[in-house]
Amino acid sequence: MSTRLLLLLYLTGHVFAQKSPDVDCLVVNLEYISCTWNKTGTPEVNYTFYSKLGNDQWKICNHYLTENNMNIGCNQPGDRFKTFKTRLIYGNNNFEKSHELKKQVKLNPPTNLTVLNGSDFNLWFYWNYTSPAPLHCVESEVRFRTNNNNWDFSKVSAGIQKYCINLPSSSSRYELQVRNRVDDTCGESIFWSDWSEPVVWASNNSTYSDDSMSPWTPVMYVVGAITLILLAMILLHHERLRIILVPVVPKPSPFLHNIEDWFQFSKGLKDNFKPNYNERACPVREYNYVSQSDVVSSDGSTCSVTTDQTDCSIEQDPEDLSAPIPSNPVSSEEVQKASV
Amino acid sequence: MKLIVFCLFTVYCCSLVKASPLERKKLQEVLRELKMLKRDLPNTELMMNTPPKDIEDCCCLTALTCFRETLLEHFGISGKYQKKLYKSLNHTLTINGLNFCNTETSTNNCSTCHSHPKEKASEFFNRLESLVQRVRLFQIYFRKLYIKY
Repeated sequence: MSTRLLLLLYLTGHVFAQKSPDVDCLVVNLEYISCTWNKTGTPEVNYTFYSKLGNDQWKICNHYLTENNMNIGCNQPGDRFKTFKTRLIYGNNNFEKSHELKKQVKLNPPTNLTVLNGSDFNLWFYWNYTSPAPLHCVESEVRFRTNNNNWDFSKVSAGIQKYCINLPSSSSRYELQVRNRVDDTCGESIFWSDWSEPVVWASNNSTYSDDSMSPWTPVMYVVGAITLILLAMILLHHERLRIILVPVVPKPSPFLHNIEDWFQFSKGLKDNFKPNYNERACPVREYNYVSQSDVVSSDGSTCSVTTDQTDCSIEQDPEDLSAPIPSNPVSSEEVQKASV
Repeated sequence: MKLIVFCLFTVYCCSLVKASPLERKKLQEVLRELKMLKRDLPNTELMMNTPPKDIEDCCCLTALTCFRETLLEHFGISGKYQKKLYKSLNHTLTINGLNFCNTETSTNNCSTCHSHPKEKASEFFNRLESLVQRVRLFQIYFRKLYIKY
């Protein structure tokens, strides 16, 4: 019984000690392929690494990466469009794996990031690539922030190595970083490069500092508070202004009341709205012009067709300044002769 | 007469200068049409003769011909993107762009189309895409070096 237990423990330990290593490969800057097998920790044994590219033969690793004197990776040349197989061997154990490297590319970050204040008063940023890929195969992404606020991101098309910030503020501080990857038309890489070293631009006349609050801020707060209090006092004491700014919503009730009672006006204000003068309505009369020939040729009776010569309902006031009433209506023919 | 010859020579030289960007744009167009065709085709289990993933430099043109004829055989040119893609793959600029073979090297070692094993349609399109992307990345870059030296 005890021997069986011991045997079982030995086999279990053996299995756990020889768990399958997981190889991860990455194409670095389109220059070489870097494979590592220390994702779950430093391996306990020294594996021998072989790789096979396309239809070539298996090749042993010439350049191992080590950690604590144990082999953890290998760099070798390669082509990401070809099939790539790896093999880790230790004793009789052989772990083989196939890799799809076309999209497993990570470029080096852009270098020589510089900033220039252009003659067009815009801010121009320029950078360089270090990968052997043609320019039309590399797309970029920039991120910039103003005065240490949140980052803004922007994509830059393949082949372009500059970025412009329009009309920068002379009192602001601009910080920009760039990263790149292989373009879609050349086999898009799923990894972006690391961000480049940042470049900062601030105008010489800028008094901006990294302090979060300027000395004028508390002054502005105090002035704003005082203004608010004064405004409240003015509103309380000037009823007319208050009613204009904050009109009272009338409360209709089922009982018929005087409409003026709906509004909570003071007596003085109510009296101000009562009229203290009388205005007389001006009489309006309509006249039709009658020609002289018609009047003469008639049988003497006046064929006046005026609608109303007198207005008996309203007394004529000599001081009335209403529209004058013509005493002799003139015919249209006589008017035409006079104008000629 | 001399003026005409001079003008024709100038036009010829300009065409050489413009050739490289035109090829690049044509290959870009092929990729675009391929993407649209992949998107429009239903998820098909169709098996097609597919050139291998590891194509030798001098077999790129043979592989291109195989891709083109297989497309014609299985999808025809009735569809909008099928027709466009077939025409683009048959275009002189595409053929020139994929012709990265030294005249000294023989192309007799390239496999025929029907000898290639059959793969799924998705794998077929992926390999065609990789072929064009690979050429776009390296061929134009190295062609400039070749011309330079």
